Amino acid sequence: MSALSPRPSLPKRRSALLETYRAFPGTHDELVDEGGAVRPLWRGLVDELARMQPGEIEGRVARGDEYLRDAGVYLRQFGAGDAERVWPLSHLPVLIHEKDWSGLVAGLAQRAELLEAVAADLYGENRLVADGHLPAAIVAQSPEWLRPMVGVPPASGHRLHIVAFDVARSVDGSWWVLGDRTQAPSGAGFALENRVATARIFAELYARTNVHRLAGFFRDFRSSLQSLAPGGEGRAAILTPGPHSDTYYEHAYIARYLGLSLLEGEDLTVRDGKLMVRTVSGPQPVGVLWRRLDASYADPLELDDRSRLGTPGLVSALRQGSLAMVNALGVGVLETRALLAFMPRLSEILHGEPLALPNVATWWCGDAVARAAVEGRTNLHRSSALSTSLPYEGDVPLPAHGFSIDASPETHPELFVAQEIVSLGSTPALDGERLVARPFSLRVFLARTADGWQALPGGYARIAAGEGGAASLALGGKVADVWVVADKPVEAISLLSGEHAANLKAQQGALPARAADNLFWLGRYVERAEDTMRLIRAYRVRAAEAGGEETPLLVHFGELLEDFGIDLAQRIPEALSTTIGSAVFSASKVRDRFSVDGWAALKDLAATTRNMSEKGEVSDANGRTMGVLLRKITGFSGLAHENMYRFTGWRFMRIGRSIERAIATASMLGFMIADDAPEGALDIALEIGDSVLTHRRRFSLEASIESVVALLALDPMNPRSILFQVSEINDQVQLLPDGGLAGRAGDLARATLRLHTVLATAQAQDVDAPFLERVHGELEIVSDLVAAAYLG
Amino acid sequence: MLYDIKLTMRFDYSGLAGGGRHAIRVLPQTLGVHQRMIAGHVDVDPVPRERSARTDFFGNPVTDCAFDAIPDDLVYTAQARVERFAPVHVAADSAILADMASELEAARTLLAPSPAHFLNASALVPPHAGVRDYAQKTTKAAHTIFDAAHALNAALHADMRYDAEATDVDTPLAEAFEARHGVCQDFSHIMIAGLRHLGIPAAYVSGYLRTIPPKGQPRLEGADAMHAWVSAWCGTKIGWVEFDPTNDLVVAADHIVVGYGRDYADVPPVRGVIRTAGGQTATQAVDVLPLDQDLP
Repeated sequence: MSALSPRPSLPKRRSALLETYRAFPGTHDELVDEGGAVRPLWRGLVDELARMQPGEIEGRVARGDEYLRDAGVYLRQFGAGDAERVWPLSHLPVLIHEKDWSGLVAGLAQRAELLEAVAADLYGENRLVADGHLPAAIVAQSPEWLRPMVGVPPASGHRLHIVAFDVARSVDGSWWVLGDRTQAPSGAGFALENRVATARIFAELYARTNVHRLAGFFRDFRSSLQSLAPGGEGRAAILTPGPHSDTYYEHAYIARYLGLSLLEGEDLTVRDGKLMVRTVSGPQPVGVLWRRLDASYADPLELDDRSRLGTPGLVSALRQGSLAMVNALGVGVLETRALLAFMPRLSEILHGEPLALPNVATWWCGDAVARAAVEGRTNLHRSSALSTSLPYEGDVPLPAHGFSIDASPETHPELFVAQEIVSLGSTPALDGERLVARPFSLRVFLARTADGWQALPGGYARIAAGEGGAASLALGGKVADVWVVADKPVEAISLLSGEHAANLKAQQGALPARAADNLFWLGRYVERAEDTMRLIRAYRVRAAEAGGEETPLLVHFGELLEDFGIDLAQRIPEALSTTIGSAVFSASKVRDRFSVDGWAALKDLAATTRNMSEKGEVSDANGRTMGVLLRKITGFSGLAHENMYRFTGWRFMRIGRSIERAIATASMLGFMIADDAPEGALDIALEIGDSVLTHRRRFSLEASIESVVALLALDPMNPRSILFQVSEINDQVQLLPDGGLAGRAGDLARATLRLHTVLATAQAQDVDAPFLERVHGELEIVSDLVAAAYLG
Repeated sequence: MLYDIKLTMRFDYSGLAGGGRHAIRVLPQTLGVHQRMIAGHVDVDPVPRERSARTDFFGNPVTDCAFDAIPDDLVYTAQARVERFAPVHVAADSAILADMASELEAARTLLAPSPAHFLNASALVPPHAGVRDYAQKTTKAAHTIFDAAHALNAALHADMRYDAEATDVDTPLAEAFEARHGVCQDFSHIMIAGLRHLGIPAAYVSGYLRTIPPKGQPRLEGADAMHAWVSAWCGTKIGWVEFDPTNDLVVAADHIVVGYGRDYADVPPVRGVIRTAGGQTATQAVDVLPLDQDLP
């Protein structure tokens, strides 16, 4: 192709790429200098793009997006039907020279120390208010200043351990701070995924460029987390609000990546002033919680009593000093917008030094002098003084701060700040095969380690959607990787990506009971869905053969389906879609323990089911729809049962599946061998039990009750038989923590062994409908005993 | 005045309760020269797995209990002997409404009694246009903060009907106000909202009221259960003054303080979560007996 139409020379292609690139007047641009020349730092990237064949960049971009899709990176959006949104990666990284970066980081470390000191005062002596350096009103009216935490010293010695700052370039290229994130900063995990995707798109350039690696930061932060446990006791874990949180993906990802348990409030309980996680091996101490849950939800007993996400007594554990909280409850008050007006002064007062990095110029309108200073100025934006959202996140409706229904800056100046309207510096983004300038901000993460504040060398850039204005994710902006570029080769720590040996260290500690519960029910629901599909398919095939005739066999079979709550008038009976929905829900609660492929397979099954049932009128007369779904669900089961490591969690899933399958087989078989069952019922039993071929091979004769029972109830070699599943339950129960007859779960072990013995010693002629009903009852008891011993 | 107080709270879980935690705020506190707790304790049946005492942010004594399982009923019995003296307020010492801003600016502290805590919306007291208009209308003639609080206190008592059946602890302020009925908690929340709309710091007070009135005086409303009233901050000189809108009183020696908070949510007698499969029914009985009734 290139032989036919010789490509233009590199310099020509380079200028074509930049032809339409325009930095915004009066702002700093990363790519080009004031004269419009490409800055030295970016030449490698520009040349890389220029060297690419026509269409190549699109292919590379697609590869990066494919990675993110396969990894399941998403953002949950509220108000959009809780939809999961595709991760909006802007494919060009932002390049920052290491010298520039280290200046920025030094300034941010100073700011982090200052915030720590302010928090110590606000939750300690409160000198800043008493001495008139901070207005009492700002602190007292902030919903994030948590009174129960006043006077509670942090067990770790500090209130801040991980913080993030949103920064942007000023006109002259120096950095300034848009806002401080102290509550539970998110984005560090997404930064990792951005890196993996971007490094794929620009694989050669990445290998050639001295880009600082990200893994070292996480390694060091994890070891500092573990060192925080008071008295060295208790595991470190991540506390999440759960799958409905907008950044749950990241919580699960980080938990997997660092090998920390991902816990929800209901996993935890407080005993004798100590925080414990309920596990399948009993309560175990938690020494460090990395909190991704907003503080006010953490303890319904002492904080917001409407919270269903918290752990009653958590604050009392903090008061006892038995738990290190990362970050401390209450540090959200540091995000209060009005505080920005006071930071320069607070730095002088608390540390006797000026702030190295300025923040957005802010005036608190409650102060008469400040009010006078901003009087009549036009390049200002007035907004809620107590808001904790970032300047460009748009103004969320003012919560009921103060005591007014219609507060305005005129009537209630103390509820407002005035902030300078800032124009952000720009960075290049791809627009097809051209480069365009887009305003951007940077989120930089700092963690407290043994060697002081350490920054994630890179991070997370937000790129605005349009040319001007705000870079907000919510408004359709994008995110980009940040490459901190060194002159010399950097330490080569390999970045382990999500799935590939992601655990820097194996999961520690015993399985939380809630996770076990969800895995157990996942096993049951998936099997139930599969059984339901088999029943429906078998019925529809028969019905098609009968050609609309109501044969006695179909009537009998229909009654069985009715017993299972299956409405045959619906193409996808509701019983089936509900069961699949429950499986997805259970799986979503244990995503950190789940393979990415398994999750994708389950979501795919749910989506297909939804699409098919929305098509509504199309009939499934011959059961083909069920065939499609069956293939998908067995794909999931294969992944889950064959590819998952045999952790304790896997055993619970397995037990759940076996109980469900044994119950389904027992009920179905009992119905089909009942005295009133019409002719042909035994064939249906074999078909549903997926054992037609085996039957033909083992018994070269017509199906009889004895032969069908031998195969589907008592055959130790047939994976569809009840005995086979009960053996499986029996084996797995032995391997659970404390699992034997003498252990804590002795009742469970005895019940399964008893059932196993009954089935293993039964003869075909013993098995009739009442026998199967008893087996069914015993299986329900086993299920209850599993729950009683492990899942509570 | 010397009182013996007995409170019984019974929660019936019908045998369906698991474990849980409660924070109890039922014991009177010692308050400078106005109130002295001589002796007091809370009995808990069944005996909790853990029990400890602390003081909350607002200085209220709290008993924390953790339970493993509650076989049937949970009963708290509080008994206390308290000495109570009527605070003496010189109404003329109150700051004037027009000086509110400068009075507040002078109160530069975040310690518990600081007026700064009691100015804005709290969990159960949101702003309400109707209450705002009502408060403005009924306090039009008031010059001082005290006068305004006094006028609002009297107006609410006159316009609202005491009705123990009409509302429960979860009835929103707006609903009780629009219907002009409720119990002490509703009266108090509405008055707090009115005061805060006027820019006056206002706190919620929970406590007890003497059961049998002194000879020749009517029995006060709210004496058969824990009671609630309002504290209004009337400037740096006079400080906090307590009003009882349910009974149209400036609080004297008939009221015994248990807790101060921004609203009921800060000082409920029992706060917490017991895991239960069924519902719960709660009953409360209070006796507040003056010991020196017949002394001169």
